[in-house]
Formats: sequence, C-alpha cells, structure tokens
Amino acid sequence: MDPYSSSSSSSSSSGASPQVSTEDIMDQVKLQLAQAYAEEFLETLRGKCFEKCITKPGSSLSGSESSCVSRCVDRYIEATGIISRALFRTSS
Amino acid sequence: MDTSRVNSTELEQFLSKEKEKAMANEIVAKLTHICWDKCITSTPGSKFSSSETTCLTNCAQRYMDMSMIIMKRFQSMH
Repeated sequence: MDPYSSSSSSSSSSGASPQVSTEDIMDQVKLQLAQAYAEEFLETLRGKCFEKCITKPGSSLSGSESSCVSRCVDRYIEATGIISRALFRTSS
Repeated sequence: MDTSRVNSTELEQFLSKEKEKAMANEIVAKLTHICWDKCITSTPGSKFSSSETTCLTNCAQRYMDMSMIIMKRFQSMH
C-alpha cells in the first residue's frame, strides 16, 4: 500500500497507486519546457512587434499595422534562425 | 506514486541534456533580442535585406567574441 495515496481519492480503480515510468517524467519535462519557451517567445514577439508596428496607437488597428505585425512575426522567427546558425554552425 | 520503474541514471542524463538545450535556446533568444534592435531599424519587410542578414550574423558572432574578451579581462584581474 502506498502511504501517500489519499483516502479521499474517488478513483474507481481500487487502491492501486499509479505507476510512473522514466518516459512519463521525460514527456512531462519536455512538455513543460516547450510551453515555457513558447510563452516567453510570444511575449518577446508582442513586445518587439508592438514597438515596431504600433508606433502611434489609434482608435483601432489599421490594415497596415496588422500586416506589419504579420511580417514582424515572420521576420523575428527568421532572425532567430539566423542567429542560431551564426552561433552553432560557424566555420571554425 | 509508484516510482519503482523510474531509471534515475537515464533520467539524469536526459535532464542534463535538456538543460544544455535550454541554455542554448536562451542564448539564441537573448542575442536575437539584442541584434534585432541593432540590425532591424526599419519596419519589417516581407524579406530581410542582405545587409540585415549579414548584420544579424555579425552581431551574434561579435557578441560572442566580446564576451570572450570580457571573460579574459575579468580573469586577469584576479
């Protein structure tokens, strides 16, 4: 018996504690890292593209502002690739 | 929780590899941040100009050169 399994557990599957494998932990770590990375990246995109494209906020987002944002996102992703290659695929 | 099936050696190797990857990602993110501000001065177009691309590449590589110099300079102070 697992002393940590709570008695309030309403799971129908008897009292068996869940088996955790190495793989389960790895998947969980990968997932959380990817989520954290995506969130941070999105925040950066918002900051950079607002700075570049919404220079004078008006009463609504204009068409040119929206298209600027789209291009900004594409270019920022491209820039990330260029920087990555510059750092890790250098001619040494 | 039953952790009898967890292989701690395997897990440790995995974690140190992930840590390394996270660090690399962090450097790339930081330099993209810095070099974007330095190199992309106009509103983003549908394509980078060749001078922008070159600037980004140079910016990242010179940053690393610089950080070497700073490291050496700092070490020589001790």
